[in-house]
Amino acid sequence: MTTTSPSARTPEFRLLATPLVLFLLVFLGFPAIVNLVYSVSQVSFETLRSPQLSGFSNFAAVWNDTSFWRSVWFSLRFGALTALLECGLGLFLAIFLSPLIVKRSWLLAILMLPLMVAPALVGLMYRLVLHEFVGPVPHYLWIWFGTGVSFLGPGSAFWTLAAVETLQWTPFALLLFYMAYQAIPADIGEAAAIDGAGPLRRLWRIELPLMAPTIVAALLIRFIDGFRVFDNVYVLTGSGPGGATASLSIYIYEAFFKQGAIGKAVAASVLLFAASFAVLYGLNALATRRKGATA
Amino acid sequence: MTHAKFRAQIRKAGLLATAIAALMASPALAKVTVLGWPGGPEETALRAAADAYNAKADVAGNDKVELLFFNRDGFWDKLQADLAAGSTAFDVNLLATYSIGRYAPFMEPVELSGEAEGVYGDAVLKTMQFEGKQYGVPTDLSLHFMYYRKDLIDALLNDDAAKARYGEISEKLLSKKLEPKDPDAWDWDDYAATALYFTQSVNPDSPTRYGTVLQIKNLLFNVMVWQSLPRAYGGDWMDAEGKVTVNSDAYRKGLETYKLLYDNGATPRDSLSYEFPEANAAYASGQVAAMLQWNAAASDLTSTEKSPAVAEVTETVAPPTGPAGRFTHIHGLGFGLNKNAANKEGGVKFLQWLSSKEAALTYARNNGAPALTPDVVKEVAEERPDLVKLGEFAGTYGYVMSGGTSAGALSVYELQAKEFTGYWSGQQSLDEALANTEKGMAELLK
Repeated sequence: MTTTSPSARTPEFRLLATPLVLFLLVFLGFPAIVNLVYSVSQVSFETLRSPQLSGFSNFAAVWNDTSFWRSVWFSLRFGALTALLECGLGLFLAIFLSPLIVKRSWLLAILMLPLMVAPALVGLMYRLVLHEFVGPVPHYLWIWFGTGVSFLGPGSAFWTLAAVETLQWTPFALLLFYMAYQAIPADIGEAAAIDGAGPLRRLWRIELPLMAPTIVAALLIRFIDGFRVFDNVYVLTGSGPGGATASLSIYIYEAFFKQGAIGKAVAASVLLFAASFAVLYGLNALATRRKGATA
Repeated sequence: MTHAKFRAQIRKAGLLATAIAALMASPALAKVTVLGWPGGPEETALRAAADAYNAKADVAGNDKVELLFFNRDGFWDKLQADLAAGSTAFDVNLLATYSIGRYAPFMEPVELSGEAEGVYGDAVLKTMQFEGKQYGVPTDLSLHFMYYRKDLIDALLNDDAAKARYGEISEKLLSKKLEPKDPDAWDWDDYAATALYFTQSVNPDSPTRYGTVLQIKNLLFNVMVWQSLPRAYGGDWMDAEGKVTVNSDAYRKGLETYKLLYDNGATPRDSLSYEFPEANAAYASGQVAAMLQWNAAASDLTSTEKSPAVAEVTETVAPPTGPAGRFTHIHGLGFGLNKNAANKEGGVKFLQWLSSKEAALTYARNNGAPALTPDVVKEVAEERPDLVKLGEFAGTYGYVMSGGTSAGALSVYELQAKEFTGYWSGQQSLDEALANTEKGMAELLK
């Protein structure tokens, strides 16, 4: 059962909360209302201040657009695959390198370097790295195998993009998992060892369960980041041949700015908002139920 | 502090604030603010032109020009948002041929100086027109050159065995036996045959890895490079009645030619992610025999410092010809008047001067790329020989597709880029690509 703190009703509380409420209203509430209006309007750059209500035609246009569903599928696949790869690799490295990092903590700083590079810059960097006449990877592949490799062709672009994303963001998962791993009290492991549990059993039965909340949080964060990917994909392939690598963010951006279909772009973002809200609400309800069950 | 002293302090602070505000506001009101294209030769040229204009004795203090630049990334999107919001931050702004229709509702047509037609010529002035009205001064022009390796072509033309091999390859892959020609006499089949001949996967004896490099990333500018091919076969976006005409033999020919080159490995396999810089890098490596590319690449590809492998053997001609003629896509960057300009009168005066011969020559001498008529360009021919070819090609072969300056032009290019790359990459058939494009264009151009 939740209770409301009595202090929440005091004038001081209201006074202190006012700036935050105003901030949320102005910077979130107002754009949200404008977006809702635009999503049910015929609107262009010329009529931004006088949109004509048009019912749900924008939603219908989005719903019937194969490019929209293709971008949703791309984002889902990309988000899920990169989250799994980054967290899997990050978890392995956190545990495998832990003894080394404990003794030489500066290694962690080096491992974190990819996080310091802007995603768009990573995209530009790989445009060079993967270019047949400039990049080292295709150069050696040509020397060794005598053939050019199409890293960004229609059959391979998805995997190349996922690899680039994974290489950049695995350190983030590594950092989270290393912190979680270090937070496990040493005496638990020692007690298990005395009871005869080997390293793998301790990992599977004790350490991973204790790290589970961090793993779930990391998976969720990385999935969200992967799902909304824009920068490095857009720089590397645009939306890909025939729109093959258009994420949902790229779909919305192109509909808004490139096609000038503002109502359609906003309707897509409203659908995305509704889907995200439903998923997060469901996850929250699930977590609350589990919390209640274990209490 | 007494009450009177406090009031006096407040009054002083108010006066000071007013004075500072007035000082800050006055230059913005008095000057003509020009929003330019940042970070390239266009910026250098505009700076020089603005300095020349400001130095003129007959330009009043409140008509002096101040320049404003923001980042190139997303420039057109930001400009679109600023214009739509009724921004008064600039009086004169950049515009491009393919976006005039989109910006026209927020701009005002301008009357250029009497010299403009003699300086630029009709075809070039048209790159800044929308619905018959002049919206800007065409300061920089872009078109395409066919870059080719003269050493390789000369060797081919002087070797009977190579000619025979060339004929075999063209017969096998293009279903017609062709003979090598001088690139200035190429039609598009000659270009394709040459590209195939110089491809090692087709002809293992080729001195280059690839015969050409196609830039076919899903990007609107790449469609501009390609579309001179269907144009040479009579292709256009619309007919005189406004009916979309891309589902035609001309477009089929253009799309199939590129598909044939891509499928036969005449261009790098990653060409579907190539745009301007990637194509230049491929050509500059010395592993490509010929390439259709923007004129802007000429200075780099003929510079022995930047492209040592090819600079001394690279020549340029206009794109190949076809049954309907020889064409090069042209589009211009230029300057027009913001409808919400704070100093509209000053903006008009600057634009009129910018369209004069004096301004065009200043712009040309300072790295700009105006397409000038033969009479005018000869005055800078010694310093800028590249501008001679630019003006000649623009005047002789330049074209803008019907509807190419309309409000939906940018979206049409985007659509074509998506659909055509879908075909080239094998994700959809030619019929599907053309049908989707026709349907989308009918919606965008209605």
